[in-house]
Amino acid sequence: MNPHLIILFVILPMAAGIVSVLLHSFKQAQRVVGLLFLLANAACAAWALATVVTAPDAVSRILTSQMGNWPAPFGITIVVDPLSAIMLTVSSVTCVAVFIYCSTQLPTRFAGGYFYALFHLLMMGVQWAFITGDLFNLFVAFEIMLMASYVLFVVGTTREQVRQAYKYILLNLLGSTLFVTALGWLYGQLGTLNMADMSRMAMMGTLPKSSIPVIALLLVVFGGKTAIFPLWFWLPDAYHTLPAGIVGLFAALLTKVGAYVLIRVFVMIFGPSQEVSQVLVPVLMISAGVTMFLGVLGAVSMHTVRRILSIHIISQVGYMVMGIGMGMTIGAATGSKELAVAGAIFFVIHNMAVKCCLFLCGGLMQTHAGSDDLDRIGGLLKKAPWLATLFMIAAMSLAGLPPLSGFFGKFVLIREAITQERWVVMTFAILTSLFTLLSMLKIWSYGFWSPAPEVSLEKADMRRAISEGLMHERPRIAGGMVAVVLLVGVSLSMGLGAQKYLDISTLAAQSLVNPEPYIEAVLGKERIREIEASRLQASRLTMDTEGVR
Amino acid sequence: MTVLTAILVGLIFACSAYMMLGRELKGVCMGVFLLGHGANLAILASSRSPVGLIPPVLDGSALSRYVDPLPQALILTAIVIGFAVQAFLLTLLVLTWRRQETLELSELAEEQSH
Repeated sequence: MNPHLIILFVILPMAAGIVSVLLHSFKQAQRVVGLLFLLANAACAAWALATVVTAPDAVSRILTSQMGNWPAPFGITIVVDPLSAIMLTVSSVTCVAVFIYCSTQLPTRFAGGYFYALFHLLMMGVQWAFITGDLFNLFVAFEIMLMASYVLFVVGTTREQVRQAYKYILLNLLGSTLFVTALGWLYGQLGTLNMADMSRMAMMGTLPKSSIPVIALLLVVFGGKTAIFPLWFWLPDAYHTLPAGIVGLFAALLTKVGAYVLIRVFVMIFGPSQEVSQVLVPVLMISAGVTMFLGVLGAVSMHTVRRILSIHIISQVGYMVMGIGMGMTIGAATGSKELAVAGAIFFVIHNMAVKCCLFLCGGLMQTHAGSDDLDRIGGLLKKAPWLATLFMIAAMSLAGLPPLSGFFGKFVLIREAITQERWVVMTFAILTSLFTLLSMLKIWSYGFWSPAPEVSLEKADMRRAISEGLMHERPRIAGGMVAVVLLVGVSLSMGLGAQKYLDISTLAAQSLVNPEPYIEAVLGKERIREIEASRLQASRLTMDTEGVR
Repeated sequence: MTVLTAILVGLIFACSAYMMLGRELKGVCMGVFLLGHGANLAILASSRSPVGLIPPVLDGSALSRYVDPLPQALILTAIVIGFAVQAFLLTLLVLTWRRQETLELSELAEEQSH
């Protein structure tokens, strides 16, 4: 693959968005064109992944392109490294599934007009965030993504949605303002916002001390977007008001982009700096433990499918943060760091597919029973046996039963927690797993297993759901099932082919824990020599001082 | 100069925090807009004090005396994004007003409980 072609990951969704705007009164055409664009996008992502994985050495695994041919730390750089490639591949496949679901299941009120254009623009922001090579472009990508999400939040609204939408929009605006302020300060301190260049400074140990608070501020910003403790409060209220298709899209993309950025910024850019790790690792580990445990407790206490799954997003983010924290630990062996980060990456991609799949299952449950309140439904096992089977696979995968995908992510993370002797977090991780199983069984036993409630509320519930716009008047369940099957397929392939996915994740983790190849690919060989020279000097200095002693 | 900017940024942030804590949506939104301006000013300050420096124009003869132009480019982008966000929020305000006929948060919440 010609490295300059990676700009396609921005151009394709943008073109799809523009075409959808032009076609806004032809719904069928929008669906067909959108699906074609998404398939092309997924093919490109798979191609990029294949190129990256089969490349002969670490430097050629990183595809870079300088926009307008301005040299690296000054111009705009876009990069596809193994991490970006695997995120792009899984997210684009997930998007295909959500798109199929949305175009068959969403009521006209949501899916009419500019819905598909917004879908593509959201994807454009997400993919741009995956390939950008500097923090300011990351900000721009975030804004595009968020702007599309704001509109998706209020399109075809019910009253409850409007109220929650204000909360979501205002909090995110606050986050974005903090982000851009932090970027300004960071630029003032470091003189660059290029990821490779900042990583180089961290490796050489030339980050000024005064930049550490600004870096911690970045953690606050990204922590808010990812919904980690204590910045998660906006998520459970906001997500459950949305119809299943849209919330599936948000669950698959928005918080996962946050997790991706946490990995990229804290493991790759600032991870090599001891001073930063010293400050951040304890914060990350405590936050991880509390996030996963409180999140799952919240999920167990809820009683509608969408609410359980929404709060569950938070709990799962905890595992990712745990991997990130262990990947930054000072003094841990490189192999252990790499495995921890690989576990986090595996967990992110597993979660993208599985979480989204569960939300879509929840939507289909509502289509069958008229409600997703667990007190009002039941007996779906007889009514929709295939849906029940698929839900069970996805739910057990989320809970982490072998041989499904969740097991391998958790296995790697918990193993590394044992290697690094982090007993507290490990205990929380295992407990959280148990509670996850419990919350999934709750949906299973109330929704599918138990007999339908005696007084059938189905007709009334369905009328209400349709009037609130949560359900299509004439839903075509087959389309929704295709989407769910596709996602379960992705999850199964991750479980049964775990070795392959873990190999790729490890490859990605290697170029994050030791970012030298990344720096060389973006900035050129001379900069690497500078790093080596400075390291030599440092070791000579320590040798001198030891000699004096 | 930098001190002056810092004080100004602090003042703007304080005003916007005060407005955002209000109970009326229009005020809250204005507070958010103001916060954006404060942020832009903070970025501008990161190009250091411009006293004694000249604007960056493509001449090349006085490179060492240029003001760092990058923060200005960043601000420009941030302003454009800010415009879009403001336009969207104001539209949402108008829509909320048309539907609920109130922008008081307490009344919006009350309507909810009915």
